[in-house]
Amino acid sequence: MQFHFLEILPKTPTIDFVSKRRLFVVCSLVINVFVLAWCLPFIHGLNFGVDFAGGTEIQVRFAEKPDLNKVDAALKAAGFGQETAQSFGPPEENSYIIRVGRIALMQPADAERAKQALSTTFATQKLVDFHFDPEVGDKIDLTFAAPVPTDQLQKAVAEAGIKVSDVRELALKEGKNDYTIITQGISDKVQKALETAFGEKGVTVQRIEYVGPQVGRQLQIQGLKALLYAMAMITLYVGLRFDFRFAPGVVIALVHDAIVTLGYFAILGREFNLTSLAAVLTVIGYSVNDTVVVYDRMRENQHKFKGRDLPSIVNLSINEMLGRTILTSGVTAISLFGLIFYARGTAVWDFAVAMFVGIMSGTYSTWYIASPMTIWLDEIVRKREGKAGGAGKTEKAGGRSAPATAPLGA
Amino acid sequence: MTGTWWWKTVFIFGIVGYALYYLVPSWVYFKLPADQRNDQALLDSLIPRWAPKKHLNLGLDLQGGIELVMGVDADKAMRDKAARRSDDLKRLATDKKLPFVDIKPVTGEAQVEVVGHSPEEATAIGAMALEQYNDSFRKLSQSGSSLKLAFQEAWVEKQRDDTVEQAVKSLRNRVDKWGVSETEIKRLRGSNGIQIQLPGFKDPERAKKLLGGTAQLELKMVDEDDKSLASVKDLPPEIHASTEGGQPYVCSTDRKLLETFLEGKAPANDEYGLEKVEKLPPDTKVAPCSVPYYKTLTLHSKIELTGDEMTDARVQIDSQGGMQRPVVGFTLDREGAQKMADLSGGNIGKRMAIILDGIIESAPSFQGKIPDGSGQITLGGLKNPQEVYQDASDLALVLKAGALPAPVRILEERTVGASLGPELIHKGTWGALIGLFLVWIFMVLYYRVSGLVADVALGINGLLLLAAMAMFGSTLTLPGIAGTVLTLGMAVDANVLINERIREELRLGKTARGAVDAGYDKVFWTIVDGHVTAFVAGAILYYTGTGPVKGFAVTLMIGLAASMFTSIVVTRTIIDLLVRTGRPARYAAPATT
Repeated sequence: MQFHFLEILPKTPTIDFVSKRRLFVVCSLVINVFVLAWCLPFIHGLNFGVDFAGGTEIQVRFAEKPDLNKVDAALKAAGFGQETAQSFGPPEENSYIIRVGRIALMQPADAERAKQALSTTFATQKLVDFHFDPEVGDKIDLTFAAPVPTDQLQKAVAEAGIKVSDVRELALKEGKNDYTIITQGISDKVQKALETAFGEKGVTVQRIEYVGPQVGRQLQIQGLKALLYAMAMITLYVGLRFDFRFAPGVVIALVHDAIVTLGYFAILGREFNLTSLAAVLTVIGYSVNDTVVVYDRMRENQHKFKGRDLPSIVNLSINEMLGRTILTSGVTAISLFGLIFYARGTAVWDFAVAMFVGIMSGTYSTWYIASPMTIWLDEIVRKREGKAGGAGKTEKAGGRSAPATAPLGA
Repeated sequence: MTGTWWWKTVFIFGIVGYALYYLVPSWVYFKLPADQRNDQALLDSLIPRWAPKKHLNLGLDLQGGIELVMGVDADKAMRDKAARRSDDLKRLATDKKLPFVDIKPVTGEAQVEVVGHSPEEATAIGAMALEQYNDSFRKLSQSGSSLKLAFQEAWVEKQRDDTVEQAVKSLRNRVDKWGVSETEIKRLRGSNGIQIQLPGFKDPERAKKLLGGTAQLELKMVDEDDKSLASVKDLPPEIHASTEGGQPYVCSTDRKLLETFLEGKAPANDEYGLEKVEKLPPDTKVAPCSVPYYKTLTLHSKIELTGDEMTDARVQIDSQGGMQRPVVGFTLDREGAQKMADLSGGNIGKRMAIILDGIIESAPSFQGKIPDGSGQITLGGLKNPQEVYQDASDLALVLKAGALPAPVRILEERTVGASLGPELIHKGTWGALIGLFLVWIFMVLYYRVSGLVADVALGINGLLLLAAMAMFGSTLTLPGIAGTVLTLGMAVDANVLINERIREELRLGKTARGAVDAGYDKVFWTIVDGHVTAFVAGAILYYTGTGPVKGFAVTLMIGLAASMFTSIVVTRTIIDLLVRTGRPARYAAPATT
């Protein structure tokens, strides 16, 4: 057998990756801080999807079997984002659940106005409980001590200047006078959008429900903890297998890549859901892999060229591995091309694009984040050693670190 | 050398065969038309008998499943809180040496009633309670020496919210432990409802049982001396009275009727617990009611221990009495163990009832002091061992996953269709497959024969990944498919590294054979390090994460393990074979250009 390989880099390149490291680290830092700041709710925030933020479910019934693509198009035209339509119950019923993201339509002040109006109008029936959740935004739950006619209820709220779309008596708890007032909101918008597409008789809204997030606060905190533990363990493993001067670089590089991937969702305002989270997690796994390849060569070269200073070994290793890094990243990226070019508009398109961004970032961070970190840590360790070692060792330590600092000035 | 090669080949074929074996049920599943796939009986009849039973499922986004809406009875949780609060108050009042007649929960309400010998006594205890629990209690009313306390509305609101939130968490835990991935659990805002969507339609009955079982475990002492039911009159025709071991009891086949009939009849500090009799013991001569029926057993109302104090539960086989019988062994936490030790030490020879979701499962008597906080639950009824085993493992699972803070019941059950439109499913699936195909082509074009070898490894890798997922009965969603393809794309990286290293060694002037040996040896640790670090991340995500993150972690870890195997063992074996069987003249290294 003969090995016939194509080659992207026939000769080992001699690109200087190391001397401009400060510039790149500062740039990366700026980008990272920018992304993180952008994710803060009071600056811009992430566009959380139904998985994280909850949403509205509307059960609709079509007169005849609808074309789901048409439903999709109608909702998109009405300005809804990544909505889903799911058939509900037996097929002959033509019932569907349409899930859309959350849009708050009523402010607490409006709710307060409704409360005042209700307690004065129905003084005899006595308003026992009034509940408005601003996160839900278009729904008020009421409990009265005595039954109240729903039409009067609707009138009273409407007179307070709130557009009411529906008042419902809740039969869930017997013997209690519970009502729900649905103000005009998402359901109307959905209904209108569907009516334009299917005709007024073609579709009826049967039920509207507010769903909480699939990933509640507790799960979010747990997930975050998991990430921190994972990073700690990776640091430990890399530290034991290579050198503790190498370990922080890997972790900082993977944090960098996770943030850049997050940046794709944050800055372009793409929906952040569970699939997006999976993309961020996958990038972390990938980033480590990529960095370890270069570290491995660094370790090998340290043994091979004893006495050479670390920056030049780092640079040599990156260059020697350049072809490999480009190829591995390239192959992984290729596996995403099908989704990126063919699966536009699906839930996984964003996953694929974000992964692509993450892979690029992973490659970059290997060169410009992880490697400079090892050099810096090495310098710090040497300085400490120098100080701790006292006068006797200063000369030796200083002599060793001199070439390391030389390219820094460039 | 040829010996090891032979063994390696056998090993690889063995693994591939094993993977194919596990994919048989999935093959049958996907061969069926979409509308017949979830017919469990049909599927069982089509899967060959020698094949495993578990298969890959399609997720909610691809094929839908069943939706359950569960209502949480938060009122019951509040009543339980009132009951616990009255116990606390009793202890507090005794500690502070405040005299009282009784402090007890008001039946059917989330209220506490304080009864004093005089109005002043009641007021004093009321003041103490309001001071102690100033964030939650309010005075409801006082008439003479009876004072009623209720919870503040804002506090109730928060507690209700917490109850539903905790119910969601317990359900999520159960689903995770049960191993059904890609189940969506969401809270319905505004009502105390929880929406659960299970992919596929497999075994909805068991799903409902697992999800609906409150697993509220309570231990109460049996009141052996109670004779109150002997004097009960006006028995409806459906209820019969009898005695057992000197204690009178009543029984009926209708639980609701029995409960209504008994309401308010129990003596002070006592209550009537219910046992379900499904099969009569063989030595029974005359039975008062026809099976299955419910019978009473008088209990002291005080809850001695609850499932909250349990740290672990597992199925054990109890061989006492010469009969092998699955039981649920449990371990209590430190506080619970202390309580159990005191309780068992002071009540030797007396019976304690183990009550699960309102039904007495068993009422064993204490044989001696139980110092270590462990015990076991013998499941009631005389079912066949297999059924008992299933019941026992389900019970152990729900106990371990945490009890629900309040009873839940299924309000609604519907089938739901795929959440993604057919066009999107088509695009997503094909997009993923095209990506895989592109990787395949690239490897052949770039690395020629070595690339082809890597592609074979890639195929085996995909096979192993799918087989492992089938083995766990995993659920494929569109993001899952995309992730799987990406995992395979990353797996090829290892082969890129190996091939590049071989190239490097060839450049150094090594023979093909030497280059291959050196290449694999030197890259081995790079690949191990890369895989292990990613695996570490996956393992931690698995242990600390829940729900969807857990499923992701499993796929990641399986993918990494499969990739290690195929990239190192499989490709090496094939390359070795090719290099060693080729003619010596062609070992020469190619020119580096």
